[in-house]
Formats: sequence, C-alpha cells, structure tokens
Amino acid sequence: MFNLARLALRNVLRNRRRTLITLAALLIGVGVMVSIRGLMNGFQRSMVEGVVTGQTGALQVHKKGYLKNVLASPLTLDVPATPEFYSKIKAIPHVTAVAPRIMFAGMVNLGDETIFITMQAVDPALEFKVCPLRKATIVDGGKFKDGGVPDAMVVTTEMDKALKAKAALTKDPPALLAPDKEGQLSGENVSLVGTLALNGPGERKLGLVRIDVAQRLLKMEGRATELLIAVDNIDEIPKVKAALQAALGPEYEVSSWEEIAKFVVDARSRQEVIVKVVAAVFLLLMLLGVANTMLMSVLERTREIGTMMAVGVRRSKIVALFLYEAALIGALGGVLGATVGALVTAWLNLRGLEVTAPGSNVPFIMHPYVEPSYIVQVVAIAATGALLFALYPAWRASRLRPVEALAGG
Amino acid sequence: MSLVSLKGVKKSYQLGKTEVVALKGVDLVIEKGEFTVVMGPSGSGKTTLLNIIGCLDRASEGSYRLDGEEIGHRDFNDLAEVRNRKIGFIFQNFNLIPVLNVIENIEFPCVIRGEGGKELRDRVLAVARDVGLEPHLKHKPDELSGGQRQRVAIARALITQPQLVLADEPTANLDSATSDQIIDLMLALNRDKGVTFLFSTHDPRVMEHARRVVRIHDGAIVDGTDSAAADVARMHASAH
Repeated sequence: MFNLARLALRNVLRNRRRTLITLAALLIGVGVMVSIRGLMNGFQRSMVEGVVTGQTGALQVHKKGYLKNVLASPLTLDVPATPEFYSKIKAIPHVTAVAPRIMFAGMVNLGDETIFITMQAVDPALEFKVCPLRKATIVDGGKFKDGGVPDAMVVTTEMDKALKAKAALTKDPPALLAPDKEGQLSGENVSLVGTLALNGPGERKLGLVRIDVAQRLLKMEGRATELLIAVDNIDEIPKVKAALQAALGPEYEVSSWEEIAKFVVDARSRQEVIVKVVAAVFLLLMLLGVANTMLMSVLERTREIGTMMAVGVRRSKIVALFLYEAALIGALGGVLGATVGALVTAWLNLRGLEVTAPGSNVPFIMHPYVEPSYIVQVVAIAATGALLFALYPAWRASRLRPVEALAGG
Repeated sequence: MSLVSLKGVKKSYQLGKTEVVALKGVDLVIEKGEFTVVMGPSGSGKTTLLNIIGCLDRASEGSYRLDGEEIGHRDFNDLAEVRNRKIGFIFQNFNLIPVLNVIENIEFPCVIRGEGGKELRDRVLAVARDVGLEPHLKHKPDELSGGQRQRVAIARALITQPQLVLADEPTANLDSATSDQIIDLMLALNRDKGVTFLFSTHDPRVMEHARRVVRIHDGAIVDGTDSAAADVARMHASAH
C-alpha cells in the first residue's frame, strides 16, 4: 500500500544518524559477504586452473578399467600415443592440445643401493602445452625441458637428497629399473638434471623421464597409459567430455579433472562450508543490528503508535509499517554493501592477488570475481532477513493498547 | 436517540498487586450537538472515562452504546473502525505524526481507510481553512507553533466528520491567547456545524463556555449525569 510505504520511507529518513549506523552495519556485513565470496571464487578458479594446467589437464583418456586399477599402475591397460590418435582427439571442438604420459613404479639403482620411486614419463614438448604451469615446478631442469639430454631425469627434492647421498658412495651412473609390460625387469641409464618442487599429496617420491626412455624401458613403443587433454575454456569440459567419449567409443574412458583430482573437489566443498559459516555469522550480526534499531524505534515512537491507533489504524497495518521500514533498511543496506563488495572485488580482479597455496611453493595470481546472481541473492537475503528480524519489534508495537501507547507506554 | 449512553460503567485495573478502581459505575448520557466538559481533580477518573468513550480502552463492566449501538464488548480491531468513523481526538500533546506535513496529518484518518483523490484534498483544504491553517499546509509539525499544531489536530479530528470529538485537556499546553482562539474555534464548530464536543479540562475558560459540566470525583459522577438535568442546573446557575 502506497501510503504505508511512503510513511515507512519517511520514518527511515527521520532518525538519520541511527539509520546511517544500521546501514553501515549492513554495508560492512554484506560487503564482507560479497568480498569473501569473490576471493573464494578467485581462489577456487585458480586452484582449478592450477590443477588443470599444472597436474591433470582438463580431461584424461585411459583404457577402460585403468582408473579402477590405478594403484597397480597396469601397463597392459594402455592407449595409443600416436599422431593419428592425437588427431582424432584434436578434431573435437575446444580441444587445444594432447599429451601422453606413462605412469609406472620404478626403482633408481645407485651402486649397491636401490630406491623405489613413482615415475611419470612425459613428452616435454607436448606436456607443457597441456600443463604449462608444470614447467615452473621443474628447478634447474632446462636440459629436461628442452630435450638437450635424451636420458634426462628430474626427481622431487626429497628424492634428490636421498640419491645425492648415495651417489657420493659410488662412481656408477644412476639407472632406472622397472618391470616392463611383460613383467621382465629392465633398466636404462639416466642423468639427474634437476629437481621437482612438489609437495602435494602423493608427490614426494616422484620422478620424471622423457616418454621415449620409458617406452624403451617398458617395451611400450607408441603407447602410453594416459592422454592429457587441454581445452580452451574450462566451462566447456562437460561438453568436450561427452563428445570425446562418443568419438573414442566404449574401449576408452574419458574423465574430467574432477574425477581425477578428487582432493580438489573435496577441498572446494570444505571451503564452501567455511564461506557459508562466515557469511551466516556476518548476516546474523547485522540482522541483530536491524532488530535492535527497530526495537529502539518502537520504544521511541510508542506515543505515535498510540496516535495512529487512536485515529483508527489497525494492528496489522502497524506491523506492516515497521516491516516496511526494516525491509527498506535491509534492501538499502544490502544494495550499498553489495555495491561496495562488488567494487572491491572488481578492483582486486583487475589488480590480481598473488597467492601461494598451502603445500606449494609456486605462487599464482588469482582474480576474485562474483556472479551477479550471488549479488542479487545477498541483497534479497539482507532484505528478507531484516524483515524477519523486525517481526518481533513490529509485533510488540502492534500489541500495545492504544490507551497505554498514548500515555507513552 | 442519545449519541453516548453509559450505564453502570466500571473500570478497574491492576497496579502491581493492588486493584485500582478508576470508575465505580458511571451513568452518562450525551446528546448530539452538546458541548460538554468533564471536570474533576487529578486521579478522579476523567481521563479513564474519556478513554472508554473514545474506544481507546474498554470498560470492565457495564454497557456503552454509541449512536444506539452497543460497542462495549468489541475487540480492539473492531474499535479501530469505530474510532476512525465516529470519533475524532484532540490531545493535550497534539500527537501529530512528525514525518507528515499539515495536509498529510489532516488527511491521515481518511487515507488509512482508503480514501484519496481530489474529493479528499478539497475536504482537507476546506477543513484547514476552517481552522485557519491555510498558510502552513506544507509545514511539518516541528515547524509549527503550539497553537498551530493544535489546529492541525482539530482539523484531523474533523476531517472524518465524526459524530463525537473528544478533547483531553486541549488547551493545557497553550498560552492564554492561543487557548482563547482554540476555544473560540471549537465553539464555532459546535455552533455552526453541530459538532459534538466532550472535553476533559482544568481550564476555567473552557468551563465558562461549556453548555454542560459533568463533575467526576473518585470514579463517580457527582453532578451532571444526564443532559436535561445539566441544562436546568446551568440555567439556575446563570440566573444567579
């Protein structure tokens, strides 16, 4: 009803200082909610991009059944690693690059000592197209990256330390040993040319060799255990996945990064819980502020409520008036807070924030952002919440008896 | 048919653990067009009486007929309707709505029952003219003097064309010159437009002009219960 809404607006503007303080509470609360959401979005997108462009690729192709037996690193469940097969994959829209990998369990032999190691064999030229961030994890490994040393190998810092200690005791070059595809143990000499700066789960005892070395060692010429696929837009992953699965047939399984890097999905849902709890706490605090303002307003305006009742305003309209006032403050504070939050987020987005994820020493730049739908949602929550928290003060106002209210309560 | 008819009206309320009896069985009849003053010392029950007649409070016992209709048992929301349609209020503290200007304060009782438009605006302007508020129509209450505020309250009480206007100490917060103007205004409205007024007051000037005085003491009417008797009493008084 127009009259009540207009009256409510004037009442809101009437005690300017108090309205401003309440608006400030809402502004900070909603602003923080939006900014935290923006930071978290940016962080999660960086995390996803980090995983996609640094570890898993957007999608992976395996032989059917490979992922179920992944712990045994079954070399028999392999896929073609040939330009023809890559072409077939690259024909799918949005696919930009394909890189082969062989994952296998090996040993590094130095003199009399042997150390177990998880190995990844990659084609550096292709690998860094799919996972460009990976390049930065290889320290002093120029010879590995550019292919200058054909038998180059890089290992994690922890492995490197252990191997260097053993190397001091022998003059023999290190050899990489592994059971080949048929189960026969075979070996190849390798040169340690650098280290891998990785600390993630399952990454501590890891080594990289060139794929041709591994193919020789494992008798897997022209084969790989997995193919990594890069796409031009991570939002297209589900579409590409379906198209690729259809093109390759049931003999192969196509998985998205989410199915491979489950720990990222888990981390993301844990972060979501934290963000929601923080947002709820801020929301509760600011809404209590609104409730307090409304209660004060009812107490101060007791005589006025009595006057309104005396001239014939019904109880339901007294409730409606105070609810209008609260919703106005809620909506106005929500809009202001969301605007400030969105501006801060936009500024951080342009500027970029350098962050180092826990467990990694490779910093990345994240760009916070918020979806417009979240902003609309937050403003709606602030207004509705203010309305709900004003129910009690409004009800109290309406329960006053006219004669008591006129006497000032 | 009398406008107001109270029979055996009692009002008691709890004050802590003690029961306070404010009205001890009041019988009172007010006819249309009267200009009546209720007088009595503080705590005598005159405000309680006005509150019950104004439907701001309900009697604990007894019957209250307004314009022939028994309304003593109605609930507060029903009474809101009665207050809006049949009764106008003028308060000692004016009780205007601070965020509304003069026009909006005057039209407020009509607007809340859904009236609007040019017809209402014309009525508001006519009432404002009657009470002498024409130069101040856009002013907010805090921009008006006490007398002007009370004129707004009178206009607000009259806009609904009520059958009864209740005025609780309407001149208590006004200086004597302003009081006189306000009393003259109400007398003129009574005389020219037939508006029924019921006052509670200590102000001797209001009493001077009253056509009937009801005296209340300790919750009971001691003089002036029914209007015919009052007229006789007044005639005697003026003859002496």
